[in-house]
Amino acid sequence: MSGSISSFPVPHKQLSLEIKGNVTDVVICGYDDHFFVIATQIGTMGTILHARKEEGVLTQPTFDVSVIFGKRDEPMLVACARQLIEHISVSGSAKPLVVSLGLKDHSTETLKGIVTAVVENRLW
Amino acid sequence: MESLKEAQSSGNGGIQVSCFSEAINDVTLHFQIIRLCRQIYAWISCNSAKFGNLYAAAPMPPTKNGASVSCMLGGASDNTGTGIARRLVLKTGLHIILACNIPKNSPMLEAEAEKMLIKKLINLGYTKPKSESSSS
Repeated sequence: MSGSISSFPVPHKQLSLEIKGNVTDVVICGYDDHFFVIATQIGTMGTILHARKEEGVLTQPTFDVSVIFGKRDEPMLVACARQLIEHISVSGSAKPLVVSLGLKDHSTETLKGIVTAVVENRLW
Repeated sequence: MESLKEAQSSGNGGIQVSCFSEAINDVTLHFQIIRLCRQIYAWISCNSAKFGNLYAAAPMPPTKNGASVSCMLGGASDNTGTGIARRLVLKTGLHIILACNIPKNSPMLEAEAEKMLIKKLINLGYTKPKSESSSS
């Protein structure tokens, strides 16, 4: 092993913003094979979703979004994950996304605020 | 054992992120701890920045002497991360989300990684050693 100290291999960004009066903490991490996003207003990770692009041979890519932990009956959370994976795909990355959303409300405004904050601070 | 680089960032809100690496023998273990108000996320990886398998673990009521572990992404019930997540809960009493990228069938490496992570959690003040916890 070389004598020089290498930087930590996983870059991350961290921010805090207010959405509809709720303090929202966001962390974005870029692993080698995944992006990981935490957005929380409640002090826990909340519902965790996995989103990935499925390459089509002759067709446009499709996206698979699934809840892997937490609420499975909140379509707005799925929509939020889908918007993020689409943005990742458009930016040229094929990495899947794990996103955890611990939110006080699942309104359109809140989810849009989170998507905007993540995209503005993206690591892809 | 050589501690390579450690970084800790604290946002304006309730999240603290700690990243560090440890060289042990001929491998490098990378750790990331994200502390939320009521939960902790930890990532452990060996020689890689891959995400690994994802587990959720929590103390099992009513006695809280047990732990419930669920594999959310990748992995299986006999994977390395399952055991680490369970023991983390038992030793710390915390709700844990663990992403683990440690090779299977490496019990020494697994034990070292777990020990380092628990030591770090104690050093950061996120938990107390079980021996110092007040008994119920």
